[in-house]
Amino acid sequence: MLEVKQVSKRYDGGRGVQNIDFSMRRGEIVGFLGPNGAGKTTTMRMITGYLYPTEGIITVDGLSVHDQARKARSRIGYLPETPPLYPDLTVDSYLKFVAKLRGVPAREQKLRVAEMVSRLGLNGREKQSVRHLSKGYKQRLGLAQAIIHKPDLLVLDEPTSGLDPSQIIEIRSLIRELGENHTVLLSTHILQEVGALCDRVLIINRGELVMDGATDEIGARMENRFAVTLEVGGERERIEMVLGQWAEARGIAAEIRTGPLEPEKSLTVSSAIVESDTDRLAASSEAPDPDCVSENGEPKAASDDPESSTLEKTGLQSAEGFVSSDRQTYSSVRALLTAADQQDFRVELFRLLADADLPILELHKENLTLEDVFLKLTSEPAGLPGKSGGERK
Amino acid sequence: MNRILAISGKELRLYFLTPTSYFAFAIYILMSSFMFYVDFVTYQPSIIDYRLILGDMLFMLLIVIPILTMRLVSEEFRQGTDELLLTSPASVTEVVLGKYLASLGVLMLLLACNLVYPAVMSLFGNLNMTTLWLSVLGVFLMGASMMAIGLFASSLSQHQMVSAVAGFVLLLLFWLAGSMTSQNETLSAWIEPFSLPDRISNLTKGVINGPDVIFYVSLAVLFVVLSIQVIERKRWR
Repeated sequence: MLEVKQVSKRYDGGRGVQNIDFSMRRGEIVGFLGPNGAGKTTTMRMITGYLYPTEGIITVDGLSVHDQARKARSRIGYLPETPPLYPDLTVDSYLKFVAKLRGVPAREQKLRVAEMVSRLGLNGREKQSVRHLSKGYKQRLGLAQAIIHKPDLLVLDEPTSGLDPSQIIEIRSLIRELGENHTVLLSTHILQEVGALCDRVLIINRGELVMDGATDEIGARMENRFAVTLEVGGERERIEMVLGQWAEARGIAAEIRTGPLEPEKSLTVSSAIVESDTDRLAASSEAPDPDCVSENGEPKAASDDPESSTLEKTGLQSAEGFVSSDRQTYSSVRALLTAADQQDFRVELFRLLADADLPILELHKENLTLEDVFLKLTSEPAGLPGKSGGERK
Repeated sequence: MNRILAISGKELRLYFLTPTSYFAFAIYILMSSFMFYVDFVTYQPSIIDYRLILGDMLFMLLIVIPILTMRLVSEEFRQGTDELLLTSPASVTEVVLGKYLASLGVLMLLLACNLVYPAVMSLFGNLNMTTLWLSVLGVFLMGASMMAIGLFASSLSQHQMVSAVAGFVLLLLFWLAGSMTSQNETLSAWIEPFSLPDRISNLTKGVINGPDVIFYVSLAVLFVVLSIQVIERKRWR
């Protein structure tokens, strides 16, 4: 579908991109990440034929973007960073112009414009001048412009930048929809967007491609450790001792922190309790829930609500065993355990804590998030260790 | 061809949606009618001839044309719409030709406005129709080459004002080519042929002179090609 072969672009200032090399299959949605100035826009401009590369070849469906420009470009839809709109034209006349420019057959033009208007929710604004559209609508019009000729390849440069959250969601769902029929290359700053939309990620840093891989795999590929976060119920000192000894023996880094509990969760629990006596009893007696204790034990005791004072009592009684001796009332300990070798120690850990009668409240394997990968790759000088992660064909 | 028409259609539409072109037309009509009043009504010539007022009208083109052409390419760069045009299947040649065609349309409109004056003149006596239409043709050819120069100036900068000034200066050079060097015989022999207004005198007399026509046409072609090159070059930046 799209082949970018050893493409470089040099500018006078020495910026630009070097040896970008990747290809895209039909129907893929690929996210293009990189810090500002890394060369995303330059690369996209070369793919769309706006700029010519200094070296290398770019082909779309086997057609060179440079030598068979007309044919190749008619298969590409491009939404630049700022949508290329004429503020003085109306929505209708703008789309009609683009349809003509992009070579949509004359008798289909009207139909296609109407289709774009309804597909992108521009209904009722056809006669409005582009100048008076809000940013979200401008972005939609920009997208309409890019897909009006039904291109095979869609290149979107930061399609959601500067939009409000609901508009971002709309545009994203649109892109997802477009991804069913088009091959999409999109650049973005928002990492979650890549996770939400893309099958594959390309990361570019200082003009070089440092990562190319499936969205859900790159975290694992970059991983060179095994880490879990753990929440254990019990006295802090005891947990520290048990974990500390074991970790030292196994060569695992254990970082113990009695993190605060999630406030929302405990609030809903406590309000549910306050609602009725039976609920309260059931909750406080059956579950020595550390959440109740921490939330109700301290702040609520101060209030003169009679309900909360009884609650405090019951809560404290039932959770007696969990309240640690140091003044903090956390009844659980959170810890981050990291093994430098990538060995899975979770079973071992479970046995250890079970033997010590310390209940594991939560155990979560830490994966490198896209964010971690991104930061890791882009904070290193280009061309050094990240390169090993990049898969080159 | 369809793409050229699409682009020139868009340009013409934009001409009539932007206040700048109305401003340019307003200045043009105001000044030329004022000159007509001075030349014809106040001065009261004893003969009826289009050439009496033509000279002043030509001078107005020098001011109006840079204003009309300044946004042609500059505005695309400023708005980022060049990314739309240059990534569309249209080639730069098609884009530039489309724009040039639109500017010729505007030029014809300017000329049409100016035909009011000979119409008024003809009420007071016989107007020689051959010289009238050949003069119009001459003005069109000269205007067309001036439009091409303006288009070229517009492709040089993304600021309309810079383009307008550059266009004006370029046009002024071609305009004054004849008179600047009139003191020095050898120098003027070299430079005078490039003078814009000198070339039109034959046509206004009713003589179609090949070199004059070729001069205007080739000047237009030259600057259209230069504009194409300037824009194409941006891909290699």
